[in-house]
Amino acid sequence: MYRKQVRRRRAVLALLIVGSFALLTVTYGQGSDGMQRGVSAIFSPVQSVLDRALKPARDLVNWFDETFDAKGRNARLQSELEEARRQAVGAKAALAENAQLRKLVELDESGAIPSGYEPVSGRVIARSPTVWFADVVIDAGSGDGVEVGDPVVDGDGLVGSIAAVAGGSAKVTLIVDHSSAVSAKIVPNGAQGVLKPSVGDPGDLILEYLNSERRVGKGQSVVTSGWRGEGIESSYPPNLPIGEVAEASIVEQEAQAQVHVRPYADLRDLDIVQVLTGGSRG
Amino acid sequence: MILTPNIVARLVAIIVAGVLLQLGFFSQVALFHVSPDVLPALVVALGLLGGSMAGAVSGFSAGLLLDCLLIAPLGGGSLVLLATGYLAGLFRERFEIHSPLVPPLLCMVLTLFAELGFGAVELMLGIDAPVSTLVIRDILLKSIFAFFAGWAIYVGLRRALRPALVEEPALRRSRRPTVLGA
Repeated sequence: MYRKQVRRRRAVLALLIVGSFALLTVTYGQGSDGMQRGVSAIFSPVQSVLDRALKPARDLVNWFDETFDAKGRNARLQSELEEARRQAVGAKAALAENAQLRKLVELDESGAIPSGYEPVSGRVIARSPTVWFADVVIDAGSGDGVEVGDPVVDGDGLVGSIAAVAGGSAKVTLIVDHSSAVSAKIVPNGAQGVLKPSVGDPGDLILEYLNSERRVGKGQSVVTSGWRGEGIESSYPPNLPIGEVAEASIVEQEAQAQVHVRPYADLRDLDIVQVLTGGSRG
Repeated sequence: MILTPNIVARLVAIIVAGVLLQLGFFSQVALFHVSPDVLPALVVALGLLGGSMAGAVSGFSAGLLLDCLLIAPLGGGSLVLLATGYLAGLFRERFEIHSPLVPPLLCMVLTLFAELGFGAVELMLGIDAPVSTLVIRDILLKSIFAFFAGWAIYVGLRRALRPALVEEPALRRSRRPTVLGA
């Protein structure tokens, strides 16, 4: 009797392990399948309600965390504010010049969102719990026109791109996920490279493969390069703000052709994001 | 654990609620810049109360639901949480739990195991980016959070699943026999 019980337990365990590996093998790299779409469709409304209901509690917990943080940030922000004021004066002149140049080359003056893209707003309803994946799920999906590959931004800058879509929800792979790579350029320097994450540190991105002849300085802005080639193009439109150069040592630039970038968007505390649907993909 | 339809329904509700709370609440709050991960602690508590099979099946189900709701490749979460729940159950079957500190300590250790397991699965599938040393800090903090969360989860689940627990000691001491004429 006991042996039979042990044999049955071993069989169940083996079945579960084999099942896990089979699921992993079958579904890896294929995006969402029918089962995920079904489960997601069932739980999306529940998650949406739960998200709204738990927001006050989340804000309370996050308030404690941010209060601890705020003390240390205060001095740094003061100096950054002074720097920003100085830059704002220069930026106004640059904007005026930019507007004139845009008229000259008859480019669209749309601003932050490039022409041809239709922004769709979504609320973050779930977030991956482990440090190894930087994914969030938003409550906008294929029903809202969202497609795989669409860029995702928030008020501060680029957040990531759509990795999988279900009817009423979509998975956003953040730019700090290990699978992410964004072609980016430094303005006004113009140096181009590929922006990759440093897994586990959402405040640090690494801009690699820089042209070592163009010296990069701390505080310079990093935007998407949005390159186009023959038949292929970057999934991100050009000039979406990503972040600023946080660390640019000469040694690192010369030896490894890379600098460290701090993203503008607070990727640990995303709430409302915009998916830039449409565009010129295809 | 004695599995009746009522207890199975409670287990399903606990797992679904646990996954939804993890995704909708715990993953979106930060304490010392780290989000707590209560799912391994939940699975450990179920394994400690129900044994290795209950732990394994609960872990598999929680992982599968997690992967489904995150629209992630299926199987990774199931595999890691299945192993976590099974180990917790195996501990309960092999050793006596003498101290009330054992469940939270086990939650801490097995959360560490689960986070490393998630990393191992991800490494198996391929990581193309450098891994920051902050990952170690995050994993250790998650394990410490699991100590406190695990204690609360274990106590709560023990209460919720009390009718199904075989070895639950009697709540009240038996009354002394009345001696007539004394």
